[in-house]
Amino acid sequence: MRVSLRYPSRDPVLDVEGLELIEGRRTVVFGPNGAGKTTLVRLLAGTLPGGPEWECAYLPQTPHLFRGGTGWNLGLGLDARQSARATELAARLGMGDRLSEPAALLSGGERQRIAVARVLARQEPWVLLDEPLAPIDAEDRAAVAKLIAEGVGDRGAVIVTHDLETAAALGTHMAVLVEGRLRQQGPLGEVLSHPSDSRVAGVVGVSNLWEGVGVARMGSFAAAMVGSVQVWGVGNIEVGTPCRVLFRGESVAMLGAGEGSGSVRNRWAGRVAEVRQGGRWVELEVDVGGVEVTAVITPGAMDEMGLEIGSTVVTGVKASAVRLLPGG
Amino acid sequence: MEFLWGVLADAVEVLSRAGPELWMVVALTLAVSAASTGIGVLLGVPLGAALALGRFRGRGVLRLAVSVGMGFPPVLAGLLLLLVFWRSGPLGGLGLIFTPTAMVIAQVVLATPVAAGVVSGSIRGLGMVPMEQLAALRLGRVARGMVAVREARAGVATAVAASFGRVVAEVGAVLVVGGNIVGETRVLTTLIVEESRQARFGAAVAAGAVLLVIALVVNVAVGRLGGDGP
Repeated sequence: MRVSLRYPSRDPVLDVEGLELIEGRRTVVFGPNGAGKTTLVRLLAGTLPGGPEWECAYLPQTPHLFRGGTGWNLGLGLDARQSARATELAARLGMGDRLSEPAALLSGGERQRIAVARVLARQEPWVLLDEPLAPIDAEDRAAVAKLIAEGVGDRGAVIVTHDLETAAALGTHMAVLVEGRLRQQGPLGEVLSHPSDSRVAGVVGVSNLWEGVGVARMGSFAAAMVGSVQVWGVGNIEVGTPCRVLFRGESVAMLGAGEGSGSVRNRWAGRVAEVRQGGRWVELEVDVGGVEVTAVITPGAMDEMGLEIGSTVVTGVKASAVRLLPGG
Repeated sequence: MEFLWGVLADAVEVLSRAGPELWMVVALTLAVSAASTGIGVLLGVPLGAALALGRFRGRGVLRLAVSVGMGFPPVLAGLLLLLVFWRSGPLGGLGLIFTPTAMVIAQVVLATPVAAGVVSGSIRGLGMVPMEQLAALRLGRVARGMVAVREARAGVATAVAASFGRVVAEVGAVLVVGGNIVGETRVLTTLIVEESRQARFGAAVAAGAVLLVIALVVNVAVGRLGGDGP
């Protein structure tokens, strides 16, 4: 469905035309601070007037538990069956033995776990999550993201965030909000690798988002296969399970053929398929065995290497610049 | 100065040989104030929660009524109820005039807006984050109000203390609808009025001291229950 939202009494005015929300898909609303993301989600949730009439579960931006027991908070607004489900989800988030404690003793991350378990246990056909991973410690985010994706299931979701990894871990689609306006929307990987203009590129950056399968683990590193391409990166993924691969276009280096491997773990030979001039930067699409690598380089480097459509190149990305995220 | 010392000495003497007559007045004061505070809080808390959280027609008028009620002159409230309960008045048949029941009714009228105003203010003062979460829980109206009141528990304690303070110290309404009848409707405040009028200052000060102690004890106790000091 397409939603148009307007909220004049803020600066800048929120004026979103035709935000596309697809049933069964998770749309990330991405934008910098002050873009109007929270106003947008509050309109969708009905806590500000003027949004659509629909049924949705809603996780507000800041976790708040009310004075009382943690377990009591977990069950607020839920029926018996949903409560049982919330308890199970809370246990999977490591909160199982905290439910008898007063909510006031919980840390910010723990409160968020309770709030996440509670909102996912609800059964509305849409789920709205405002910065769901922000209060969670970095090393726990992947696990919480996985549980969120599972908990949302085949329902539709709107996830508000200003964090690229959160977007990559949770979204299937993306809408970019800048200064109260919708600037671009589409499938997540497409928006990340093909920002529609320099304003969007400035906000979101240019990134590669691939879907693959975990094939190896080595310390904090892991490898995934994306089509016929093997990629090493940082992340806690399971071998044999679907995962996502995220790295920025700026992290991609153009290596001359035969150049020593150095510390660059990921080296893929390919052919330049597309060149997009973006002012100070050039975006290259390099086809490496059926997978497209989007690289951002300077026009100078481009000229120096004599790159044009059809040129053969070796692209390289350090494994430490690649994030591997669980989930498909 | 000698005069004041004399009054104080008289007061101490009155208290030291206080008989059942004074204790009856104290008992009636406590009973009437406690009953009107209890009823006023029972009515005022839900009203306050509804004013803070609800979206309904007439909310603006109700808010104004509560604001006016918080500052309503007690003697005027007494007068209006006197007219209602007067033998030939609209509810004269109930025979409530100059009874403790009439005093309780008058004080409920005074206490309810205070309780409602304090609770409404403290719920609205919870801030944006709890209110957003409360809305997100999709609770029914009653459950939503109960969570909010529980969260604003200190405000409820303040409402109890403020309501009790208003009614126990109030003289105009109980005097007009109660009539200050010895052994029937005389309370500490009306006793002070009577003793002062008769220039029995020692007795008046003694009654005043008892009133002060009651107000202090109730405020401290309620503050403890609410978990916050003043």
